[in-house]
Amino acid sequence: MTEFLKRLLKTPQGAIGTFLVVLVLAIVVFGPMIAPYDPEKLSPLARYKGPSAAYWLGTDQYGRDIFSRLLIGARATVVMAVFATIAGTLIGALIGTASAFLGGRADELIMRTIDAVMSIPSLLFALLVVNLLGSSTINALVAVAIAFAPGMARITRSVALSVRKQDYVNAAIARGESSAYIIRREMLPNVIAPIIVEMTIRVSFAVMLFATLSFLGLGAQPPAAEWGLMVSEARRYMHMSAGILIWPSVAIAIVAVGFNLLGDGLRDALNPRT
Amino acid sequence: MIVYTLFVVSLIVFAITQILPADAAVMMLGENATPEALDALRQTMGLDAPIWQQYATWLWHVVQGDLGTSLRTGQPVGPAMFEALGRSLLLALLSIGLMLVLAIPLGIIAAIRRGKIADMVVSLISYAGVALPEFVTATIAVLVFADWMKWLPPTGYVPLTEDFFGGIAHLVLPVCVISIILIAHVSRMVRSELVDVLHTDYIRAARLKGLSRGHVLRRHALRNALLPTITIVALDVGYLLGGVIVVEEIFAIPGIGRQLIVAIQARDLPAIQAGVLIMAATYSIVNFIADILYAWLDKRIQYD
Amino acid sequence: MLEMKRRFFLAGTAAILAAPSMSFAQAATPARGGTLKISVDQAASVIHPLLTRVNPEYLVTELLYSNLTRLRVDMSIEPDLAESWSANDALTEWTFTLRTGVTFHDGSAFTAKDVVATLKTILDPATASPGRNNIGPISDIAAVDDATVLIKLSGSFADLPAALAYPNARIIPAAIAAGDLKSLSTKAVGTGPFKLVSYEPDRLIVVERNEKYYDPARPYLDRVEVQVFPDISAEGSALISGNIDIISTIQPTEFLRIDGTDGIDTLRTPSGQFCNINFGCDTAPFNDPRVRRAIALTVDREAMVGFVTEGFGTIGNDTPLNPSYQFFQQVKQREANIEEAKKLLAEAGFPNGLEATLIASDRPAVRTQLAVALREMAKEAGITINVQTMPHATYLEQVWKKGSFYVGFYNMQPTPDGIFKLLYTSDAAWNETRWNNKAFDALVNEARGTTDEAKRTELYTKAQDIMNEEVPSIIPSFFDVLAAKRSWVEGFEAHPRASVYRLDYASLSDKAPKRG
Repeated sequence: MTEFLKRLLKTPQGAIGTFLVVLVLAIVVFGPMIAPYDPEKLSPLARYKGPSAAYWLGTDQYGRDIFSRLLIGARATVVMAVFATIAGTLIGALIGTASAFLGGRADELIMRTIDAVMSIPSLLFALLVVNLLGSSTINALVAVAIAFAPGMARITRSVALSVRKQDYVNAAIARGESSAYIIRREMLPNVIAPIIVEMTIRVSFAVMLFATLSFLGLGAQPPAAEWGLMVSEARRYMHMSAGILIWPSVAIAIVAVGFNLLGDGLRDALNPRT
Repeated sequence: MIVYTLFVVSLIVFAITQILPADAAVMMLGENATPEALDALRQTMGLDAPIWQQYATWLWHVVQGDLGTSLRTGQPVGPAMFEALGRSLLLALLSIGLMLVLAIPLGIIAAIRRGKIADMVVSLISYAGVALPEFVTATIAVLVFADWMKWLPPTGYVPLTEDFFGGIAHLVLPVCVISIILIAHVSRMVRSELVDVLHTDYIRAARLKGLSRGHVLRRHALRNALLPTITIVALDVGYLLGGVIVVEEIFAIPGIGRQLIVAIQARDLPAIQAGVLIMAATYSIVNFIADILYAWLDKRIQYD
Repeated sequence: MLEMKRRFFLAGTAAILAAPSMSFAQAATPARGGTLKISVDQAASVIHPLLTRVNPEYLVTELLYSNLTRLRVDMSIEPDLAESWSANDALTEWTFTLRTGVTFHDGSAFTAKDVVATLKTILDPATASPGRNNIGPISDIAAVDDATVLIKLSGSFADLPAALAYPNARIIPAAIAAGDLKSLSTKAVGTGPFKLVSYEPDRLIVVERNEKYYDPARPYLDRVEVQVFPDISAEGSALISGNIDIISTIQPTEFLRIDGTDGIDTLRTPSGQFCNINFGCDTAPFNDPRVRRAIALTVDREAMVGFVTEGFGTIGNDTPLNPSYQFFQQVKQREANIEEAKKLLAEAGFPNGLEATLIASDRPAVRTQLAVALREMAKEAGITINVQTMPHATYLEQVWKKGSFYVGFYNMQPTPDGIFKLLYTSDAAWNETRWNNKAFDALVNEARGTTDEAKRTELYTKAQDIMNEEVPSIIPSFFDVLAAKRSWVEGFEAHPRASVYRLDYASLSDKAPKRG
C-alpha cells in the first residue's frame, strides 16, 4: 500500500490530484464546523459586498457570506457527485458483469440495448429523468446515476472479458484453484482497478452534470448552497458583483481538476507500463 | 443496428413522456378549458386508447415521417425540428472542425515531447478544458469577449444565407465554448494512443532498421495512432449534442437543443419525442459512419 | 338633465381623452420608416389572439390586431376600433359606435358583425379563451347596424370600456370566428397597424407596416422584428452591442447593469405588478386567518423590496391595490412584528411553530427569490418553510389554483375591479385562494355598478380593509415595470400594465443604424 502511494505521489498528476482531493474532502468533513456564518442568514444591508476581513470572499445577492456557503455547500456538491458516480457504477457493473457472464445472445442483446440507450446524450437523459421525477437533489442524483450506468456497463464488461482471458487467470485455472478463489484473488483486483480510475474521473463529470442540471432549473433546491446552483443563480447577479459567480466556479474547477488529476495519477500508478 | 437503436429509444422516450406529469389535452387547450372540451379533444387525439395502442399508432406515424403536432404551437413538429437540427449540425460540425485542427497537433506534440514543457502545457490545457461546465465557460466568454472587449456579438443567430460574415461572427463564441471540452478530451486521447504506438515492437523494429524518427512517425506511428481517434470523436458526439443543449440556450441559437429545452419546459410531448429520437438517430448515424470509415482505413493501412 | 350629463360624461371621456394622442402625433412628427428590433424573454408560442396567455404573445397580437378600446400609458382608456361609447343609467347596456372604412389584412371590411362574432367566440367555453371571464359580465351582444354594437350585461359594470381592452379581446373577422378559427394559430387576420410576415415561435416574429391601417399617420415603422432571448444576460448584452433596439421587459439586475451606458435609455414606471404568496384558505393550517396573518407579520417589507426588486419597487400591504390604481386609498400599513406573529400562531394552536412547503415556479426567477427571502424571515417566528421550485409547466399543471401555499406573479390590471375579479372574489376567473368572503364579494360587486368616484373609492377601501385583515395572500411588494431602449428609439414608454407596448407609436430617429 505504501509502495502504491509512493508511486501515486511520484507523478505530478498524482501528487497535485491527491492534494486537491484531500483538500476538498477536508472541506466536506470540517467545512460546516469552520464556517464563520449561517449560510442562509439574510443581511439586507450587506448585499453584493466585495471581499473583506469580515466576509473573506464577499457576500451574495441576499447578503449571505459566500465563504460560509462554499464551505457548507461542499457536502451537497461533492458527496452527491460521489454518490451518483458510485450508484451509476454499481448499476453499470452489475449489468456489465452479468452481460459478460451470460455471454452469447443475451450478451449481444444487452450490449445493443446499452448502445441504444447511450445514443441519448447523458445530459438529455438526465433532463428527462429529472423532469419525470420532479426537481430535487435526490432525483438529480438518480438521474446522473442512471445516465452514467450504460457507459460504466460497457467498461465493466470489456474489462471483465479481457481479464478473463489473461494468462494469470488461465494459470490459476490450470493450478486447479477454485472459482471463488480465482474471482476473489485474481479477477476482482484486476477488474476493480480500471473501474476505480474511471470512477474517479467521472466524479468530475458528475459535478458538472449536477451544475448543468441546476442551471436548467432541475437540480438542487434553493436556498441550498450546492455550488452548481450558486453559479447558476449568480448569473443573474454577476454584473452586480463578479465574486458571486467567480468563487463557486473556482470551487467547481478545483473539484473537477482534482478528481481528473487523481484519476490519471491512479491509472499511472496502477498500470506502470509507460 | 440503427433500426434497433431507434426502436429502443422510441420505447424509452414514449415511456417517459407517458409518465411525465402532463395531460396532453390540458396542455393543448390551456388551463381554461372546460371538461367537455377536454374529453372531446382526448377522443380525437386518441388519448383514451390503451397505451400500447397509442404507442403503435405513434410509431406507425413516425415511420411514415409524421412526427406529430406540437401541443404548444399547434404546428407540425417534424419540419421545425429538422430545421433546428440543421442549425445545430452547423454548430456541431464547426466545433468538430475546430477541435480536430487544434486537438490532434496538440496531442502529437505532447506525445513526442513527453515529459517536456510542451507536454506539461498541453496537459494544463486539457485539465483546464474539463474544469468548468459549458454554461459557466459560455457566461465568462460572453462577458469577456462581447461585453468587455466588444470583439464579437454576444448572442443571437443570423442565418448564413442572410448575412454570411455576420452569421459566422455569431457562431464564433458558441463554437469555441463547445470545443473546449472536446479539445481537452481528444488531445489527451491522441497523446496516449501515440505514446502506446511509439512503444510497440513494430515501431521499435522500424527504428532499428535505421529509418529516421520523422519518417517512422509520419509513415507508421501517426496512422495507427489516429485511427482510434475516429471512434473517440464519434463517441464524443454524444457529449457534443449535450453541450449543444446548454450552449444554444445561452446564445439564443434556435437549434434542436433549444427546441428540446422549450419542449421539456412546456411539456410538449410530441416535440420531446421527436427531438430525442432525432438526437439519438444523429448519434447512431455518426457512429455507424465512423465504424465504416474505421474499417476502411484500417484495411488500407494494413495493405499499405 | 342628470341623465344627460352622465351619458355625456361617459361618452365624452373617450372623445376628450382621445385628443392628447392625436396632438402628440402631430407635435412630435416622428420619422417614418426603419426596422425596429425588440426582444422578449420567452417564446411567443401562441399567436392566436383569443388564446394568448403571456406578455410576449400579447406584444405580437397587439401589433397585428386591434381591440375596441386600448389603454394609454397613464392607464386611461382611448378609442381603438370603437370611436365612442355610452351606457344606460344602470350601466347594464352599452352602445359602442365603431370606426368605419376599416379593413382586415385580408381586405374584408370591418363591421359590427365582427365585434359580435369575436366577443361571442371569447365567451364560448369551447374556445377556452383565457380572457373569457375578463371582458365583463356580458349577457348578450347585438349589431344594431354596421357601425353600432349594443352590449347587454348581466349586472351593472362601469369598467366595460377598460375590460374590452383586455389582451384577449382582439377583434377577428366574423368569417374566421364562424369558420376555421384554428387557422389563426399560424396566420394573422387583424386590423392592427402591422401585418405578419413570418412566425418562428422560438426565434423571430417579423411584421411589416399595414398600409391600410385606419390611422394614416401610424405606424411610423416599416417593420418590427420580435426576437426571443431565453437568457436575460444575453438580452442585456445584445442591447449594449446595438443588435436590438428595445428590451420589452428587463430584470432589475440587468437594468442596473446597463443603466448609464452611452446611447441607452432605461425606462421605469411604477406599477401594480406584484408577486404574492397564495394561501389555500380552505386547507389546514391556512384556513385559519390567524396563521395567514402570522406569516404576513414576519415579512420585513422594506428588505423584501430590496431582495426581489433591487429597490425598483414599492412595499405592499397584502392587498393588490396600490397608488398606481384609480380609486386607491391607503389602509393601515402592516409592519413586521415577530412577537405578534408568535402570539397569533400560539392562539391558532401552533405554539411551537409550524412547517410548510412553499412552491415557486422557476419563471420568472423572482418567484424563487421571494420564496427564499420569506423562508428566512419566517424562521424568526418559528415557522419552517421548505422551498420547492419546479418548471413552470409542472407548476401550472399541478399547483396553480390547486396548491395551498405557493408564489404567484401578476400583471397590473386596468382597474381595481379587474384585479379583484381576476383573483380574489368567489367568482374570480382564477380563484386561487378559495377565500370566498361574502362581505368582500358584495363590496366589489357594489363598486362595479357605482360611478361616483368618492363612493367607489370608499367601497374599494372597505374591501381592502377586509383583505388586509384576512390575508388571503401576502403581497409584500409591488414591482416597477422596467424596460430599456437605444436612444435612437422614440415614442416608446414602459407601460404600467406590462402587457401593453404601443409600438405603433414608436419610431426611429436618424441616428438609428440603417437596416435592410
